[in-house]
Amino acid sequence: MFERLMLAFAFVLMGLAPLAAHGPTPQRAEERVTIAAAPDKVWALLARFGGIGDWNPLVKKVSVTGGDAAGAERVLTLEKGEIAEGLDEVDPTARRLSYRLLKENVEAFPVSFYTATIEVKPSGSGSEVVWDARFYRADTTNEPPEGLDDAAAIAAMGDFIRQGLEGLKSQANGQ
Amino acid sequence: MIAVAAMARRLFAAFGLAAGVLMAGGSEAEPLIAVVSQQAGVVTLIDVGKATVVTEIPVPRVPAGLAAAPDGRMLYVTHPDLGLVSRLDLASRRVEASFRVGREPFGIAVTEAGRTLLVSDWSADALIRVDAATGRETGRVGIGRAPAGLVVDAADRRAYVADRESNQVSVVDLAAMTRVAAVPTGKAPFALALSPEGGALYVGNVQSGDLSVIATDRLEETSRFKIGLMPYGVAVTPDGSRVLVSNQQSGTLAVVDPTSHAIVASPKIGAYPEGLVALAQGRAAAVAWAEDKVMIIDIAQSRVVAQVPVGAGPRSLVALPDP
Repeated sequence: MFERLMLAFAFVLMGLAPLAAHGPTPQRAEERVTIAAAPDKVWALLARFGGIGDWNPLVKKVSVTGGDAAGAERVLTLEKGEIAEGLDEVDPTARRLSYRLLKENVEAFPVSFYTATIEVKPSGSGSEVVWDARFYRADTTNEPPEGLDDAAAIAAMGDFIRQGLEGLKSQANGQ
Repeated sequence: MIAVAAMARRLFAAFGLAAGVLMAGGSEAEPLIAVVSQQAGVVTLIDVGKATVVTEIPVPRVPAGLAAAPDGRMLYVTHPDLGLVSRLDLASRRVEASFRVGREPFGIAVTEAGRTLLVSDWSADALIRVDAATGRETGRVGIGRAPAGLVVDAADRRAYVADRESNQVSVVDLAAMTRVAAVPTGKAPFALALSPEGGALYVGNVQSGDLSVIATDRLEETSRFKIGLMPYGVAVTPDGSRVLVSNQQSGTLAVVDPTSHAIVASPKIGAYPEGLVALAQGRAAAVAWAEDKVMIIDIAQSRVVAQVPVGAGPRSLVALPDP
């Protein structure tokens, strides 16, 4: 941990941000859930960029800077470590937001880079939430070890989204 | 009997395809484009005017980049995960040969009237020159980290390569196979395109969401402006009047005036658009990666006019050149 902090500090000193390295073969995840609650109510939960810890059970803690507008950043504490995400675009009319991974930590989450979009659509008297992501495995060389390969990335991203959507559903319906 | 009939049909179809390729530049013939689908492992040929699939050619696993020979008869496809480049014969509609090239071959261009390939190697940080007939490496030059897209000028004098993780474009003198410049850009340059007369190079910077303009005479970045989220495709219309950028995360096409740098239109063109090509008659085509479609766009009308389903995970595409 100390080493990592020193490394991060060194990058700051050098004026360089470590780029999220990623190879050329992206993967895709898309999950959806229907929720009885109205779209505005679901969107209110989603639009709070630092609120993900309230409804995604895999997120233990969140710290956010920059509020809920494009450019905001959040650090998610997961079971095995932290990752950082940046909010790229918020469209309240379409009830849609897009974000990306800013700082990878393949021990905590075996994905080297991702962008993702969550959208709330009206569905009957309730909502449908669509969450999709485009991502790269943790080890982008041609012989990734088990746990850092496409399968691990697909499993982790799918799990994060599915548990998130289920949590969002309980939270929205419970309020 | 059935087999003979099937073979006759196949021969006829192959001939029809070859004729289509030959006539691609003619007045009534519509242009063909070739599309790589990474997950499905296929190359699809599309008739742009009819918005139909002409044929689908299976290729080795995880194809990524592609380039066409100037006679429109051969296609070359990179397979970064396999360290291979495949050559497709369009008349027989099959992979004719696969060559080992570098470690993770990604971007590709065809030069010297089809005799030579240039390939960017994502993990070896090099531009590799390959004999198109034999697949033998005939030269290489070290460039920046994670080189992705590459373009070659009309005279085959220089290659410009987007060094994604070095935030620069490497300029390579092709006669000497030496790097003559590294021009700083925005963060994570990926795709690039030259203006028709070759004076301006447009570079999409994926992470910083902007477009760099490089003057090729001075080899300097003369402008950089915001373009959209995750710009993954760049093209210039044949008449040079518009620069087009596909913004993958925004799902939009930025239509740019090259003089004022104003974004004059920004239509939605599908989910996660990436590879992009400008065509004749005011059209463009882009892949919608998450929708497994190719979108045909009317640039003046600023909208998608046709959608063509293709194999899963389309990444890049190329217009087949006039013979």
